Amino acid sequence: MKVAASTSDLSSTSDAAQKSDNANGSEWVRLQSSDGYSYLVKRKVAQASGTIRNMLDPQSGYSEALSKICSINERGIILEKLVEYMCFKSHYESINTKEEIPVQEFMERIPPELVLELLLAADYQES
Amino acid sequence: MAPRKHGPEFSAEKTWAELAKNIKEIQNHNAANLSFEENHRFAYNMVLYKSGDQLYNGVKQLVIENLEFLANTIIIPAFTSATSDPAMQNTEEELLLKALRRVWDDHTSNMHRLGQILKYMDRVHTQSAHVPPTSVMSLDLFLDRIINKPSIKTQVVTAILNQVQHERDGYGINRSAVKECVDVFLSLEPSKGVTVYKRDLEPVFLEKSEEFYRKEGEHLATSCDTPEFLRSVQARFEAEESRTHHYLSSQTTQPLLQILKDHLLTPHLNNVISKENSGLDVMIDNNQFQDLERLYRLCLKVPTGLPTLRSSLKTSIVRRGKEINSTSLGDDLVDIEGEAPPEKSKDKGKAKAKASGLETAINWVQDVLSLKDRFDLVWKTSFDSNRDVESTLNEAFTSFVNLNEKCSEFISLFIDDHLKKGLKGKSEEEVDVILDKTITIFRFVLEKDVFERYYKGHLAKRLLQGRSVSDDAERGMLAKLKVECGVQFTQKMEGMFNDMRISADTTKEYLEHVSRTTAPEVEISVTIMTSNAWPITHSASACILPPEMSKACKSFEKFYLDRHSGRRLSWQLSLGNADVVVQFKNRVHELNVATFALVILLLFEEDGLLTYSYIKEATQIEEPELKRHLQSLASGKFKILKKHPPGRDVNPDDQFSFNADFTAPTKKIKVPTISSKVESTEERKETRDRIEEERKHLMEACIVRVMKSRKKMTHNDLVNEVTQQLTNKFLPEPLMIKKRIEHLIEREFLERSEEDRRTYRYLA
Repeated sequence: MKVAASTSDLSSTSDAAQKSDNANGSEWVRLQSSDGYSYLVKRKVAQASGTIRNMLDPQSGYSEALSKICSINERGIILEKLVEYMCFKSHYESINTKEEIPVQEFMERIPPELVLELLLAADYQES
Repeated sequence: MAPRKHGPEFSAEKTWAELAKNIKEIQNHNAANLSFEENHRFAYNMVLYKSGDQLYNGVKQLVIENLEFLANTIIIPAFTSATSDPAMQNTEEELLLKALRRVWDDHTSNMHRLGQILKYMDRVHTQSAHVPPTSVMSLDLFLDRIINKPSIKTQVVTAILNQVQHERDGYGINRSAVKECVDVFLSLEPSKGVTVYKRDLEPVFLEKSEEFYRKEGEHLATSCDTPEFLRSVQARFEAEESRTHHYLSSQTTQPLLQILKDHLLTPHLNNVISKENSGLDVMIDNNQFQDLERLYRLCLKVPTGLPTLRSSLKTSIVRRGKEINSTSLGDDLVDIEGEAPPEKSKDKGKAKAKASGLETAINWVQDVLSLKDRFDLVWKTSFDSNRDVESTLNEAFTSFVNLNEKCSEFISLFIDDHLKKGLKGKSEEEVDVILDKTITIFRFVLEKDVFERYYKGHLAKRLLQGRSVSDDAERGMLAKLKVECGVQFTQKMEGMFNDMRISADTTKEYLEHVSRTTAPEVEISVTIMTSNAWPITHSASACILPPEMSKACKSFEKFYLDRHSGRRLSWQLSLGNADVVVQFKNRVHELNVATFALVILLLFEEDGLLTYSYIKEATQIEEPELKRHLQSLASGKFKILKKHPPGRDVNPDDQFSFNADFTAPTKKIKVPTISSKVESTEERKETRDRIEEERKHLMEACIVRVMKSRKKMTHNDLVNEVTQQLTNKFLPEPLMIKKRIEHLIEREFLERSEEDRRTYRYLA
C-alpha cells in the first residue's frame, strides 16, 4: 500500500492541547481511495467537506466516526486533488487574510482530463 | 457524462431495499455497524437516478412506522392510571413525561443521523419536489404522530398541569422532567409562530391557574390575617415567577403574573388593607415595617394598588387626626361643663379651663407630631420614601389639621411654650429639633395669616415679659418661618425685635439723661413699640396711676418727644411689670408684679380693707383685667392680698386686705399673672373678625397689584391669579374675591370693560 501524507504544515498553526483535539480538528484521520491510496489529514482539513464532516460526526457514531478511517469512493488521483483543495480551503478559511485568495492558481493546477470526474466528486463530497 | 462504474447496474429497488434495512438498523441504535459512506452513496444514487420521490416517501414511511412503534411501546404504557394518591400520581406523571422525552430524544437523534445520510436529497431533491427537508419532516411527523394524538396530548398536558398543581400544593416534583417535556412543546411549531406550547399548554395552564388563584385568593383573604396574606401572596408571586423561569417559558411569566394580580391580589387588596384586627392600621400601630413594606411592594404591582394604599393611609391618618382633634375638643367640652355650674364657681371653672387649655394645645401639637413621626417612619422604612405616598400623607395631615379651627393657635402656643421654658429639661438642640418638626405641621396649616396673628401675639408677650429663652432661639424660629413663608411673613416680627433693641438703647440714654437732671422717684424702663409692627389690640387701657408713677412716665415722655418730634407715645400699661419692695411682718420681699397689680397694691398702703368696687373706682382698670390681677394677688401661688370671703373667684361684692403675714422662702418673688392663654370663644370670634377684615385688605391689595401690572384681565383670570398669590397665606374663596372686586369698582380702582362685561380694566 502506498501512503502519501499530505503534510500538515498548512494547518499546524494551532498548537492546542491534546484533549481538545476533536474540537479544533487537529486529530488525524485517514482518507482511503477506492484504489488503495490513503491520506492522513487533520480532522479539520477533512471537515472542509460536508459529507466527510457528517461521516466523522461522533454524535451520529457511524462506523467511520469510530474507526476514523473514511473510504472515499474515488480514485487516488481524484482524492489527492480533493485533499489538496480541502487543505487549501481550510487554510484560507482559518487565516482570515486580506490578501487575495489564489483561486486562479489552484484552478490552473487541475489537469483538464480530471475536471469532470473531480466535479462529480466535489458535488458528492459537498466541498 | 463519464460513465460511472456502478451506473449501469443501478437498481432503485435494490438500493432502497438496502438503505431501508440500514435505516431500520439506525433506528435500532446500531449506526456503529453501518458505513456512512455506503448509505450516503445509496441515497445519493437514488437522487441522482431520479428516484428521489421513492427515497423521500420511503424514509417518511419508515419514520412514521418507527414513531408509531415508539408511541405504542414507550408512551402509551406510561399513561397514568386514575389513582387518587398524590404521591403515586406524582410518580406516574413523572414517568410519563420522561417517556415522552425519551421518545423525542430517540426520534431527534435518529433523524439527525438520517439527515446526514440524506444530505444530498435535502440539497437536491426536496427543493425541486416542493417537500419539506428531513429536519422539518422530522418535526412534522413527531407532531403528527405523537403530539397530535388526542390520547397522548391529553395525558401529557394533564400530567404537566398536575405536576404544577402538586408543586403549588407544596409537594416536591421533578422539575427537570417537566422542563424537558415543556422544551419539546416549545420546539414544535405546528403553524408559523405558534408553538405547541402556546397552542396546547399555555391556554389551559393559564385557565387552571386562574381557577386556582381565584380560589386561593378567596381562601387566603378569609382565613389569614393581613400579614400572613401578604406573605403568602408574595410567596406565590415569587414561586410562579420562578416556575415560569425554571420549567415553563418566560413568555408565560407576564400573563401568569397578571392572573395573580387580577385574582389573588387586586380583588382582595382593599379588604385586606382594611382588615380590622390585622390590617393597615394595626400594622402601623405595631410597627410591622416588614409587613408594611411587603404590602407596599405588592401594591406597586397592580395599578389599583397604590391608590388603594394611599386612600387607606389617608383614611387612617384622618381618623387618627380626628381622634386627636376630638380629644382636644373633649377637653374643651369638659371646660364648658366646668363653666356651666351657676354664677359662683364660674370664674374658677374658667381659670381651670384656661390652664388646661394650654395643655390641650400642647398635647394636640404633641399628638400630631408623634402621629407625623410615626407615619414618616413607616414612609421611610416601608414605603421606600415614595413621592406619591408622601403627598398623600401631606394631604391627609392638611385635611385633619385644618379641621381643627384652633390649629394655628395651638401651634403658636406650642412654640411659645417651648421658647419660654425650653431649658426645662431639654437642651437647646432638642428644642430646635422639636421646633423643626413643628414647622412641618405648620406647613399643613392653610390659614397662615391666622397663625401669623397668634404667633405675633405670643411673641410680643414673650418679648415684653422677657420670657423668651434666648434671642438666638427666637431668631432661629423666625428664620424657619421666613424660609417657609417668605420675608413678608416675618417682616413685622423682625420689626418687633428691632424695637426691642432700640428701646434698650433709648432706656439707657434716658437713664443717663435723668442721672444728669432730676430723676423721678420711680425708675422706669420703657419699650417703645412701633404701633403697626406689634399686635397690640387694646387701645391704651386706661388706669389711674399713682402720682409717683405718672411723674416717671411724664419724665420719659418729655425726654422722648424732645428727641423725636412728631411722634406720639401712648402707654400700654397692661403689658408692663414692676419691681416693688414690700415690708411684710416677718421680712422684706422684693416682688415682681404686673403694672396693674402694682397699682392695686399701692392702694393698700393707706387702707387695710378695700371693697372690689372701691378698687375699681380708684384704679379705673377694666373689669376683666382687674379681676385677673386681683385673682393673681389673692388666689394665686403667692397670696399677697387676703380675700373676704376666701375663694378662688372674684365677685363684685368681695373685699380685700393686705396679707401682712405673707411668707415665702426666697427674697425675690415673681408673682405670676393668671394669664388667659387659650382664647375664649368670644375672643376667638373677635380674632376671626379681625382676620377677616385683614384678609379683605390683603385681597384688595393683591387685586390692585395684579391689575396694575396687567391693566386688563378677565374675571376668571383675575380670581385665579389672586388665589394663587394668596395661597401661601390663606385660601381665599372666589366669592370673597368677587366681593372685593365689586368693592374696588365702586371705589373706582377698576371698571368693567365696555366690550366685555366679564373683563376688568385698571383705572390709574
